[in-house]
Amino acid sequence: MTINRREFIKANAIAAAAVVAGISVPASASNLITSSELTKLKWDKAPCRFCGTGCGVNVGVMDGKIVATHGDIKSPVNKGLNCVKGYFLSKILYGKDRLTTPLLRMTNGEYNKNGDFTPVSWEKAFDVMEEKAKTTLKEKGPTAVGMFGSGQWTVQEGYAAVKLMKAGFRTNNIDPNARHCMASAVGGFMRTFGIDEPMGCYDDIEATDAMVLWGSNMAEMHPILWTRVTDRRLSAPHVKVALLSTFEHRSFDLADNGMIFTPQTDLAILNFIAHYIISTGRVNQDFVKKHTNFRLGETDIGYGLRPEHPLEQKAKNNGKTAGGSVPIKFEEYAKFVSTYTVEYASKLSGVPESNLIALAELYADPKTKVISFWTMGFNQHTRGVWANNLVYNIHLLTGKISTPGNSPFSLTGQPSACGTAREVGTFSHRLPADLVVANPKHRAIAEKIWQLPEGTVPSERGYHAVEQNRKLKDGELNFYWVQCNNNMQAAANTMEEALPGYRNPNNFIVVSDPYPTVTAQAADLILPTAMWVEKEGVYGNAERRTQAWHQMVEAPKGAKSDLWQLVEFSKRFKVEEVWPEELIAKQASVRGKSLFEILYKNDSVGKFSLDEVSDDQLNDEAREFGFYIQKGLFEEYAAFGRGHGHDLAPYDMYHEERGLRWPVVNGKETLWRYKEGSDPYAKKGSGWDFYGKPDGRAVIFALPYEPAAEEPDEEYDLWLSTGRVLEHWHSGSMTQRVPELYKAMPDALVYMHPDDAKARNMRRGDLVKLISRRGEVQTRVETRGRNKPPVGLVFMPWFDASRLVNKVTFDATDPLSKQTDYKKCAIKIVKV
Amino acid sequence: MPSNTVAQVVKKPKEYHVASFVAQAITSQLSDVEQAITASKGSEIHAVTPEGKIVFTLEASTQQAIGKLIDKLKYHTGMLSLAPVYHQYLNENNEDN
Amino acid sequence: MRSVIVRKAIKLVSSALIMSGILFSYVATGTEKEVATLRDTTKIAEQKEPNIIPKVINKDIRQGRNYPMQPPVIPHTIRSYEVNQYNNKCMSCHSRQLTEESQAPMVSVTHYMNRDGNFLAEISPRRYFCNQCHVPQLDAKPLVGNTFIDMHSLMKQKTSQDNQE
Repeated sequence: MTINRREFIKANAIAAAAVVAGISVPASASNLITSSELTKLKWDKAPCRFCGTGCGVNVGVMDGKIVATHGDIKSPVNKGLNCVKGYFLSKILYGKDRLTTPLLRMTNGEYNKNGDFTPVSWEKAFDVMEEKAKTTLKEKGPTAVGMFGSGQWTVQEGYAAVKLMKAGFRTNNIDPNARHCMASAVGGFMRTFGIDEPMGCYDDIEATDAMVLWGSNMAEMHPILWTRVTDRRLSAPHVKVALLSTFEHRSFDLADNGMIFTPQTDLAILNFIAHYIISTGRVNQDFVKKHTNFRLGETDIGYGLRPEHPLEQKAKNNGKTAGGSVPIKFEEYAKFVSTYTVEYASKLSGVPESNLIALAELYADPKTKVISFWTMGFNQHTRGVWANNLVYNIHLLTGKISTPGNSPFSLTGQPSACGTAREVGTFSHRLPADLVVANPKHRAIAEKIWQLPEGTVPSERGYHAVEQNRKLKDGELNFYWVQCNNNMQAAANTMEEALPGYRNPNNFIVVSDPYPTVTAQAADLILPTAMWVEKEGVYGNAERRTQAWHQMVEAPKGAKSDLWQLVEFSKRFKVEEVWPEELIAKQASVRGKSLFEILYKNDSVGKFSLDEVSDDQLNDEAREFGFYIQKGLFEEYAAFGRGHGHDLAPYDMYHEERGLRWPVVNGKETLWRYKEGSDPYAKKGSGWDFYGKPDGRAVIFALPYEPAAEEPDEEYDLWLSTGRVLEHWHSGSMTQRVPELYKAMPDALVYMHPDDAKARNMRRGDLVKLISRRGEVQTRVETRGRNKPPVGLVFMPWFDASRLVNKVTFDATDPLSKQTDYKKCAIKIVKV
Repeated sequence: MPSNTVAQVVKKPKEYHVASFVAQAITSQLSDVEQAITASKGSEIHAVTPEGKIVFTLEASTQQAIGKLIDKLKYHTGMLSLAPVYHQYLNENNEDN
Repeated sequence: MRSVIVRKAIKLVSSALIMSGILFSYVATGTEKEVATLRDTTKIAEQKEPNIIPKVINKDIRQGRNYPMQPPVIPHTIRSYEVNQYNNKCMSCHSRQLTEESQAPMVSVTHYMNRDGNFLAEISPRRYFCNQCHVPQLDAKPLVGNTFIDMHSLMKQKTSQDNQE
């Protein structure tokens, strides 16, 4: 027995090294391996299931189970490293309460919204869904059906959902949970550049002289990128790291210039830096003259609240004009930012003047290459789009953009918020490749690629995330399908909007998830869903790297992927049941067909036969539907972007490579966009070509500081900030089921300054209640944790299903991006 | 606070360590590098490519021994890079027979 | 050693359970309305009293790893152990030079490798912040079990099944 085990681990060692070296297992080792059935271990690559960094992993499968993973040495993103969550990927599929049968609320054998969850067959589940959807469409029309999807959907799932909702049911009420994380970044990109997603890539880290973290806790939230930052900082003595946050956290361990600022005042600091660059004569005049325009943005735009809210009543430009702007000259812009002196910025933000000046120098000094990193600090912000615009300003004024080491880099939270939600356009106002439903030319492009009659795609934007919850509560959204997210735990203001919305007796809520989450508990029908490598898929990470993986294991019997659910459900609808006669009459060939035949099993998505799937390769969906559906969906989707700056490589290439950064033109990926020589779309002779805008110029926006929606006052005297921790991904539905991760951090605590605790007669470990105008939640106090807030602010993470911090948060949003501000609201804390 | 748990064990743990590596040799010195590897106690070469990639394993009874062997190898002038891929050990004390 | 025997016993029992096929497909915990297991079957609008903050397990007993590349969990408290640009407290016991004195396990060879796969004399900066991969464990009982089987147990199952045929 001992000898067999030695042989076994030695064979594993050889096999693993052979995979890395890119050679087939040598004969000597394969003898060891095949001599025993015991040692059959199959390795294949996949992107990590968790954050937007997009690390590569190798997954080891034995006997149909995942038995190991390790960081993929060949992946340029992480070169063999993972963070602690990534190292436990092999356990996330195996929570004991994995769902394997649809569960429908029933009483006496019939659906009942107040009934108990009862196991039913898939057939019955779809029967009920079909009936509810058709009734809703018939009685109230397409605006009463909706879907809430995900930046953790695969590209194919997002694309299938977009087709089903926008072309099948003809509603734009599809929005992703990426609305909660990246919408402001998208808004910033579109306003400044006219096209989405970062222009630089991770390679900038190894080339830069300075890195500034704006409200990002990279050490915990993008840990592998942090290892690259650390590597650069500790290997090159001149490199500096500056960090701004509303509370001290782990990333401060590496900071040369760590700054704590009053929430919302990041806007003022950004404008100060612009003023500093201008007033110290360090504007890159040549760059600014050739490549930018100046515009003055609309202000006083409200907070995305319900119209009757006093803040919305007061706001002057919270309607359609909110995103407007007028052209101005450089001198007017210089005058605009000149009020943001270092004295003013310091007084408003609480950051000492010397720190602000040191920070500004990193941008102003022409010899310093600088990267700005940000995620939720800027995006989950009632002026998030502005914050994004303002940080681009300081890179544009200095020309520090699109060259190695000079990079305003918007970090993405989710593994495929870029690849799926943004690039595929799973938003209430979008179509794939940055197209929008409001533009008739764009709708025509979609209809052409989808081979559908003119007028299929609705032109009115649909309900976005926050609005969906409000419309559910108001009874205007009645058939609602939630896939691949945990929005009952994730959405702000649970008690006033989300919960009454889901439990409104007029609404039928379907939730697809592998596990029984809080959102599943609020649903009427739960569908057991396959996860990660239980299906073939594609993700796109923060640096535009599209990565594919094969199905490696079977889902538990009874669980089906989101893709299968969407496509199988489409079989239930004949076109006559969802389209009006006038539309059908435009294209007689659709008569009598099901949505399945019109959207999926056609000569486009259905183009690739099963023969392209090798016999020893798992692929449940392809085999069930009878064609290589994942490739068909991908290639049809890619048609939107190829030739338009969003080029993707042929599908099969992604299974070979460790991902490729788009635009991929002639097999070559693009590292720096907009730069002549690096980006094939940048016109010859231009130097820089911001081709997202008709005149090739990026926009520098004059936008002011405006206060937060809700600030502490006498009664609610503390700022509340929320966010994540290293050990848990998002709502914890996967990581809380891994014993080592659970035991590393089992509960969400409230991190407080010891003086704040003392002033409230509290000590570490005390049971307390966080109370806001909207609800309350209990937890325990932590005064010596990894997060050290200043006096006047507390932080509580949202991964804990039993301590729902979003009961107290505020559903105020950036009115332009519709993204919720999870970092600022006013609460009080009392001892229980 | 590292406590000395070793002292409480009845006998010193008998361990079997195996680690695998991918080395990249300068092609003109490939056979030199191969010899250096095979000269190391516990080494075994499993594959060599014409471009100079070598897949080999090291077996030893302690982690320190593996480390020492690597130290010797990495200074070879013909070794462009040496990447450890996999390292596992068995505690063979308490194994059932 | 006593704890090793106990661990082995638990391992045998749990693998026996798994082999006999007791794997719940739908765990009915309490009422069939409140299905969110991580909420301990509490209504969304309500809340059970939060547990006291569990203590860190500080026994210095190394935990078995589930698979080769898994970073070992930290079996002791790390309170006030700082890792920042000036100081790495973990290395004061776990670095190659100091393990003889501390008897703490040495960081594995992989930690001395840089991004391009070359060996360094000191620990690689990309591995500098230990806590990104290594975490302590609190004395808290997981709310939901996990049916992951490591490859050795899987092999053992297969051999014993083969032996029975």
